[in-house]
Amino acid sequence: MPKHIMRLMVLVAAAAIVGFSAKIYFTDKSYYRYGHYRGDSVAEIAGDTPRFRGSTYCKSCHEKQYAVWADSPHNKPAEGRHVQCEVCHGPVGLHPNREGVPSSFDERLALGAKHVLSSEQNGAPTKLPARKDKTECIQCHEAMPGRPTAQRQVELAAHAGTAPCVSCHDPHAPKISYSGMPDKPKGNAAAGKVLSANCTACHGPGGESTNPVWPNLAGQHATYLINALQAFKSGARPNEMMGGMAAGLNDADMENLAAYFSGRSCKGIGADKAKAALGKKRSASCALCHGPTGVSPNPSWPDLAGQNEAYLGATLKSFKDGGRVHPVMSSVAKTLSDTAIDNLAAFYASANCK
Amino acid sequence: MIGTMAQAAPYVGYVYPNETDIPWSVLIVIYPYITGLVAGAFIVSSLYHVFGMERFKTVARFALLTAVSFMFFVPVPLLFHLGNPQRAFNAVLTPHWTSAMSAFSYVAGFYICLLLLEIWFAFRADIVSLAKTKGGLLGRAYRILTLGSDDVSGKALAIDHKFAFALAVIGIPAAGGLHGYVGFLFGSLKSREWWSSDLMPIIFLLSAVVSGIGLLVVLYVAYSKFRKAALDDACLQGLAKTMWAFLTVVLLIEGLELLEMFYKSLEGIEMVQRLIEGPIRYGMFLQWGLSLMVFATLSYLILTHASGRALVTGMFASGIGMMLGVLAMRWNVVIGGQELSKTMKGLLIYYPEILGHEGLLAVLFIFLCPFIVLWLVTRFLPPWESKARKEVSS
Amino acid sequence: MESDTSEAKKAEPGSALRRNFLRAIGAGVACAGVWMNDPLQAAPPAAEAAPPDIPGYDWRKHKWAFGVDATRCIGCLRCVEACKAENGVTQDAHHFRTWVERYVYLEGDEHARVDSQSDPGNIAASDSQQAFRFDNRYASAPVEKAFFVPKLCNHCTHPACVQVCPTGATYQTPDGVVLIDHSYCIGCQYCVQACPYGAREFNHAMGVTDKCTWCYHRITKGLQPACVEVCPVEARVFGDRNDPDSPISRFIRNNRVSVLKPQTGNAPNVFYAGIDKEVS
Repeated sequence: MPKHIMRLMVLVAAAAIVGFSAKIYFTDKSYYRYGHYRGDSVAEIAGDTPRFRGSTYCKSCHEKQYAVWADSPHNKPAEGRHVQCEVCHGPVGLHPNREGVPSSFDERLALGAKHVLSSEQNGAPTKLPARKDKTECIQCHEAMPGRPTAQRQVELAAHAGTAPCVSCHDPHAPKISYSGMPDKPKGNAAAGKVLSANCTACHGPGGESTNPVWPNLAGQHATYLINALQAFKSGARPNEMMGGMAAGLNDADMENLAAYFSGRSCKGIGADKAKAALGKKRSASCALCHGPTGVSPNPSWPDLAGQNEAYLGATLKSFKDGGRVHPVMSSVAKTLSDTAIDNLAAFYASANCK
Repeated sequence: MIGTMAQAAPYVGYVYPNETDIPWSVLIVIYPYITGLVAGAFIVSSLYHVFGMERFKTVARFALLTAVSFMFFVPVPLLFHLGNPQRAFNAVLTPHWTSAMSAFSYVAGFYICLLLLEIWFAFRADIVSLAKTKGGLLGRAYRILTLGSDDVSGKALAIDHKFAFALAVIGIPAAGGLHGYVGFLFGSLKSREWWSSDLMPIIFLLSAVVSGIGLLVVLYVAYSKFRKAALDDACLQGLAKTMWAFLTVVLLIEGLELLEMFYKSLEGIEMVQRLIEGPIRYGMFLQWGLSLMVFATLSYLILTHASGRALVTGMFASGIGMMLGVLAMRWNVVIGGQELSKTMKGLLIYYPEILGHEGLLAVLFIFLCPFIVLWLVTRFLPPWESKARKEVSS
Repeated sequence: MESDTSEAKKAEPGSALRRNFLRAIGAGVACAGVWMNDPLQAAPPAAEAAPPDIPGYDWRKHKWAFGVDATRCIGCLRCVEACKAENGVTQDAHHFRTWVERYVYLEGDEHARVDSQSDPGNIAASDSQQAFRFDNRYASAPVEKAFFVPKLCNHCTHPACVQVCPTGATYQTPDGVVLIDHSYCIGCQYCVQACPYGAREFNHAMGVTDKCTWCYHRITKGLQPACVEVCPVEARVFGDRNDPDSPISRFIRNNRVSVLKPQTGNAPNVFYAGIDKEVS
């Protein structure tokens, strides 16, 4: 064999040995342990830290909210409904420890921590507020073709206009209970009666108004009355007369007054029957909160049945033109014509209040 | 473009969300294309070295140099495309043999070695004489390549010839394997209707040979004009017949493939039709238009026993036509396959970037490199028999 | 010479090398064009070695599977966002480990209209590529039938993606999960091409392919995958098929389940109830 052929073969053999040694040397030691892959990678992948940690993790600190949620329609695993804390609040991650919480914007985005961004401050514990605007709720509850009928869905525009869901619903226990909500006033009715002397000039003795432009108070929900007085006092509901009156009342006074007026029984007032009949037809959207006959199932919302026609009409118009502002009522009132308002007022004025 | 995706591909109908990021770019069009040119050029050299067709002797050694110059750049588009090119050797360290792709480094490496060895044997006599005449760095390079042996006796050359012949014989299945493998890479994927075909390796292989001969014709004509050397009519006529034969089979199989697809009309055929009429219509037009024109030209050249200027012009045009036609075919397969959604309910539209490491400029650059390397290699190892001999004797 | 490294392998002794020897033969066979493609490959010889060091977990004792009850899905996409948050998936509308499709037949339609998170209308509806929601485009359309279908990696018994991976960066574990080793993947995207379900996506920042792992870091700690954890209507079911009382075993037992694209031979391990002829 000529010299050059021999040398070529030596070269080829040397290259082969070098190549094969390199392969042995560079191949990961755990490769082929379980199969054709790097065996150590299994434990590496399994070693990642979970970011979603389940509702029981939240319970340890947020026991009150947990209790409300645990007993609500959002937690009915037996019926296949299980809206856990992190569904709305986003992943817990390492909350509440700031340590280990990624600090750069990109990192947080990568964690999907959009809920964290809004209220997180340097050095402070992380917070996980759910979005309070509609977007969180409608993700599941907007009426949409394709959603199973068993899923509770609402037509957004017809349901509550632009009002945020949380103005009526507690997201932890979203179902509005129409029964069993206690309306037992805490205050002392007798003490309230004494105080009510200041009210009689306008609202009449016993809460039956002397002038139809002012509301009757007799038989109204105590909770609503307290809320209203507090709104007058704080200025949330601006009213020159009532603001002044409420300014002099403390919480106990308000409870006593509410106990007195709510304990009185109301009287029905008649109204134009034709207008009332038209108003009844228009009242379907009101019935969701104020009850089908104007008797509200929720003590936070006022009874309308037996209320003064003029007061009801003026109030709705005030919501409509912005004189009074309320997240739900303002948008509802804007959908009503003046005639419709008159008809509704007649309907509720003539309705049986008890 | 690391870190961001350039642009989500627009689509019609329904495609899976992940499909809007098209995985294989224009780089993967150029990869099988270059591989195909290598296979084609090598086949021509084999026609002389193995089958003893004397008329191809003129271009046999040049074909080998062409093959190796292009072979060097086969892995480049792949490396450009990898998300982690620095880990490319993982596929060599722990090749997963159920994957067609794992064989790439071994098949390509084996083939490069084979080409280098064959070139070494084919040029050894020249290397020895150049080592004696040239000085300086170049002379040193030649002397290293002689492996310290200037034995060019008849006996030694006879042994060389035996080795070269054996290597050339091995080279034919290797070249076939190298490119048939690329066809398998696409044809073996059941996920894509446009690729999943048993005929894919054969179509790839035969069209590769056609494009490779085309490249060789173009280079041969261009080089000869450049060197002011006369073209060998017999060689060109031989190339015309070879190209014609391969092209006939390619056209037949590709036509049958399409016919079968539409004859069977399996679920989703409407989308296949819309793919052909839509995103790849220009590609299909180029592929079929150029192939048929080249087929007509070659048929004419062969039937009229053309020679001289008509033959040269006709062959040069056919070479260019076939290179473009096969490039269009690679686009239609690689890009078209990804434009047809796996849902079979939608189409995507791929727009290549211009700049960027997966852009058209990068592809153009990669494709120009082998031509530059070929030019350097032919300076280092002049392949033209007559001229080389002249230089040695003078 | 590189070409001869495979030859040299055959001569070396050692147990790891015996496997190399077989692989070298495999390579030879492949080169000759006779590809021995055993469709039943991919089951690793896990029994021999001690299981991976995962505290409190033995992968020999589990056989995971996933169920999707399309009749329950409300299309809220909490799962999609949770998956991205849990696993650091690229935050845009073009890369998903899991996604939800909407199928709608309008009156008289022969074929369903399908859309998902990449749809421009849905991207506009959430006004962000980090949050996802379905727009209400069919709110006033004459809808005859409509439903949502969650999709994810099927963790096939015969995964096409594992078959085509050139390096062994992606693999199947004995407990039935298809994982990807991000530190070994070269980023060729062959597996993305091979998956018939479009379940794999490319992480451009890392230069590697990414895929659903059924939250392997959770299920090995006794937790549910993130998408199952947050699903408010239990449309997603996960569990151990070795346990006849697990949610998945009950789901498969109590429903007429089907799998997607069975003709691929991939044998998926995500079981669907309540899907339609158009779903694939």
